[in-house]
Amino acid sequence: MGLRDVYGRKGTKTSLSARLREYRLTLKILLESPSSTVGLVIVLAYAAIAVIDFTYPSLIGVQNAYSLIPDFMNSVPSPPVWPTHPFGTTFPGVDLYQAVMSAIRVDLWYSLLIVLAGAAAGTVVGVLAAYVGGYLDEVLMRFTDIFLSVPYLPFAIAVAFVLGRALDNISLALVIVWWPLYSRYAYGQALSLKENAYVEAAKASGVGTWGIIFRHVIPNVLTPIFVQISLDLGTVVQIFAAMTFIGFASGNPLLPELGTLISNGFQYAVAAPWVIFFPGVAILIFAIGMNLLGDGLRDALDPRSRT
Amino acid sequence: MKLRYYIARRLILLLPTLLGLTLIIFTVSHVGGNQRLLGEYINTHSKIPVSVQEQQLAERFHLNDPLVVQYFYWLAAFVQGNWGYTQTSIYSGTVLDAIKLFFPNTLILAVLSSILTGLIGIPLGVWSAVRKDSVLDQTTRVVSFVGYSVPLYWLALLLIIVFSTTDVCPCLSIFPIGGTATVSLIGGVDWYVGGISNPTHVLIIDSVIHGRFDILEDALMHLVLPVITLTYGVMASILRVMRSSMQDTLSQDYIRTARAKGLDEKTVINVHARRNALIPVATLLGYTIAWLLGGVVLVESVFNYLGIGYWTTQAILNGDVGGIMGATVIFGLTFIFANLVVDIAYGFLDPRIRH
Repeated sequence: MGLRDVYGRKGTKTSLSARLREYRLTLKILLESPSSTVGLVIVLAYAAIAVIDFTYPSLIGVQNAYSLIPDFMNSVPSPPVWPTHPFGTTFPGVDLYQAVMSAIRVDLWYSLLIVLAGAAAGTVVGVLAAYVGGYLDEVLMRFTDIFLSVPYLPFAIAVAFVLGRALDNISLALVIVWWPLYSRYAYGQALSLKENAYVEAAKASGVGTWGIIFRHVIPNVLTPIFVQISLDLGTVVQIFAAMTFIGFASGNPLLPELGTLISNGFQYAVAAPWVIFFPGVAILIFAIGMNLLGDGLRDALDPRSRT
Repeated sequence: MKLRYYIARRLILLLPTLLGLTLIIFTVSHVGGNQRLLGEYINTHSKIPVSVQEQQLAERFHLNDPLVVQYFYWLAAFVQGNWGYTQTSIYSGTVLDAIKLFFPNTLILAVLSSILTGLIGIPLGVWSAVRKDSVLDQTTRVVSFVGYSVPLYWLALLLIIVFSTTDVCPCLSIFPIGGTATVSLIGGVDWYVGGISNPTHVLIIDSVIHGRFDILEDALMHLVLPVITLTYGVMASILRVMRSSMQDTLSQDYIRTARAKGLDEKTVINVHARRNALIPVATLLGYTIAWLLGGVVLVESVFNYLGIGYWTTQAILNGDVGGIMGATVIFGLTFIFANLVVDIAYGFLDPRIRH
């Protein structure tokens, strides 16, 4: 087997069983720590809610996963009653339990989209700048710095304002705010990676610049980027809901979304605290779970911490 | 590198950043297109058709020029302080006047929260690292973990329900539900006109200057809940970094040396360890300011606190370009210059940075 086979178009040959062994080891380390286990359970529970809400909403008692069902005859919030309204109702006469369940799906979906898009764009920019170097490095990284030098929330507000009020536009605004963080991060990782012997070996065996970037550098940057994604997801859910809360999604008050639910209930918050309590708790628990899991993943995926 | 070269380099790097900021603001100022920009100049009762008027006005205001040319005309006006008008349910007037009204309130909120964060966060982080795994450490970790997971606006609402209403317990209804001052108290005061107090524009300072301590107390009461919310949100990350940095420092060789030569634990921690542990916290400062400015928007809008953040959310709801523009300018400039000061101070404190 020549070098070309090892470092060529087909990429490095890691057998499937070796990879599975690696995953199993990661999971084992993760489950050794009680806090990461709690995080994993919370995140899996939220993922399950989102998937069930998307496929068989009636399984978790959701009648319509895409729009809240208003009851204008009883639009004033009523307190929780088991089993008809376990979380009570919110304005305008919407069952809060169903609303929160569907809202979890919507928020999770958009946040995942934002983080993944930001990470993809940032990784490509950061790796390109680090690997190619020279003028491209200067231009791309100064560009990144400019984006990083504006505080994220006011920046996101300005961008979303230009784009117009809608969930898709908030997501785009947050991607525009978020990618430079990944760009910086991937840049740092790739700078040290490109000095490795295997990159040199690939170069010696005749693999082109793009081949090296996509076959050898990016796959090795992905693990730390993945950890960063898991750490960021909890924050992005919060910021996404905050953007809708301050009024970027008021186009459709019947859209299940956690920030919108809190802002719908805002005027009733004092007389009927449950209208803001449950959507907020849904965000809080997810953010805690995601942060716990992210911390655990960081320790588990960093080979240096395995002793 | 000498310190002055370092500062010069940092100042040159400021230029592209400021250019980027003006490009963002320029884009914001064009929301709604020419129709919005010319709307107030068009006379619908005139014999000249609206479309012709639009053409003439567009010519007059250089709106038919390429965007690059328009940008320079806009920049010239912007530098001269011509920032346009804002019209929201809380304020109508020029953007500059609105900033004069709102910015001091936001500043006082941000400054008080930063001071509190420093006063509580740093000692608590040190303590928590020194007494690792004690009850205090465990509590601190949980509290800070919840701190950066909790949505601040939601926390603010909960605090209002507990401490401003009689819902939970009448005994806890201590603080006002929102706003910056009680209207009945501030109403007839001659140095408080149109929401602006004179001469410093900061109510808690002006009330002392004029000897009105009842107004000072009232203004402070209005500040308590917003400051607590904001402090908690910002402190969480500081605490975490301070704790881990202090732990790293305490395991260094020179700390062992200090202990070995018989220094007492107090001196080791306060003199040898804490100073070095503060360096990572200082790098975090720029990030903290960003958090603070983000938090201000959310906290102010929940407490109806008359600051830049509340103005921003009102501008979003009213589709007001001036408000968004003014807020972006203020937040952007504050952030950029705060980071500049942090970087220069950092280069001054740690000579390694300059290279």
